[in-house]
Amino acid sequence: MTAVPATARRSAREQILDAAVERIASDGIDGVRIARIAMDARVSTSLVHYHFESREALLAEALEHSFELAGDVRIGEDNGEAPSHAHRLAAMIDQCLPYPGTLERDWLLWVELWLRAARRPELRETAARLYERMHRWFGAAIDAGIAAGEFAETDVGPLVDRTLALLDGFGIRVLIRDPAVPLPWARAEVWRMLAGELGLDEEVPPR
Amino acid sequence: MSPRPATAHLRRPEILAAAREVIRERGVNGTRIADVAERVGTSPPAVLYYFESKEELLREALTEVEERFYAELQSELTRIPSARDRLVWLVESTVDSGDYDAVLWIELWPQALRNEELAATREALDRRWRGAIAEIIHEGQQRGEFAGGDPDELARLTASLLDGLLIQVALEDSEVSSARAEELCLAVLERELGCAFRQPVGSLANVPSGGY
Repeated sequence: MTAVPATARRSAREQILDAAVERIASDGIDGVRIARIAMDARVSTSLVHYHFESREALLAEALEHSFELAGDVRIGEDNGEAPSHAHRLAAMIDQCLPYPGTLERDWLLWVELWLRAARRPELRETAARLYERMHRWFGAAIDAGIAAGEFAETDVGPLVDRTLALLDGFGIRVLIRDPAVPLPWARAEVWRMLAGELGLDEEVPPR
Repeated sequence: MSPRPATAHLRRPEILAAAREVIRERGVNGTRIADVAERVGTSPPAVLYYFESKEELLREALTEVEERFYAELQSELTRIPSARDRLVWLVESTVDSGDYDAVLWIELWPQALRNEELAATREALDRRWRGAIAEIIHEGQQRGEFAGGDPDELARLTASLLDGLLIQVALEDSEVSSARAEELCLAVLERELGCAFRQPVGSLANVPSGGY
């Protein structure tokens, strides 16, 4: 489960959202059942209906809930402990690939968001917001590396666009176990593209 | 088995076109055989005569789109002499159809996660796609148009990059994002293959600084 602030007491609403997140990841967005979520959250179905006016509303909020938490964890981890800007950048790449565990679970949710957002305008806003966060996150890290003189100067915006596209494209293939795209190779390829633009060693820092 | 419909030879492409429309609107999970039958103006048994399941419908619907693409690619290959221009054509036509067809691919991926049959479909279609890219790259390298590098690896990179870009195109649903997706893909290929893709051959003096 994505990290939860230790001091927070989970309200019933949050427990329902936590349960919904797990269910979307395991059953897919269309396989989700309110009764199942209620059972997982140890509440009644009527309480779920009290908090969320529709199944759609619950699903939309659950997706946002999960990504907000994941985003906070990612951004919260930027505490300057990495030995170099390059190492930090490599760690950020790792945060965006579907390694087994929480990251893979987040990826399953990400894929379900695409499904819905491609056909529903209101979810596109959610998707756009999350992409912008990712964009700012990577952009800031690369700007910092350039400012520190560790990275070569480059047009950061398009580089981040290319990086996110590659992470999406590789990530989905890794998630569906595409034999053409093994996870370590994908990681190395994303790094190789960044390293080429930023004047870094093409050998990806070890995980 | 249902009796063969009288207009059988006319129906298959129409059914597939209808299936694509319904899946675009409702997704695979929200699509029933009855929905497709209604869209094409026939009965469910008539659809089931051709396709055992909606998974098979999706497979055939996508394969038909791909077949049309490869037919077009073949005729373009005879028309376009340079590997550089062929690769540009391939990228352009991929992103141009992007916001229309991307939804089908986005539907296929999670299905491939949960359904072995569709996983095999995706893999087969993808292998062909990567093969087409690799062939153009290999030929370009043989002719000295492109720099070295394993064509299969470069094809894997290109296909994955285009998938990622198409997601953005599908979500943003505008011409601007298609043009930007094309630029981004060609920028990566420029770096990998040492060839100027983003302006007409012969105007290398005007290579842009990288701004979009």
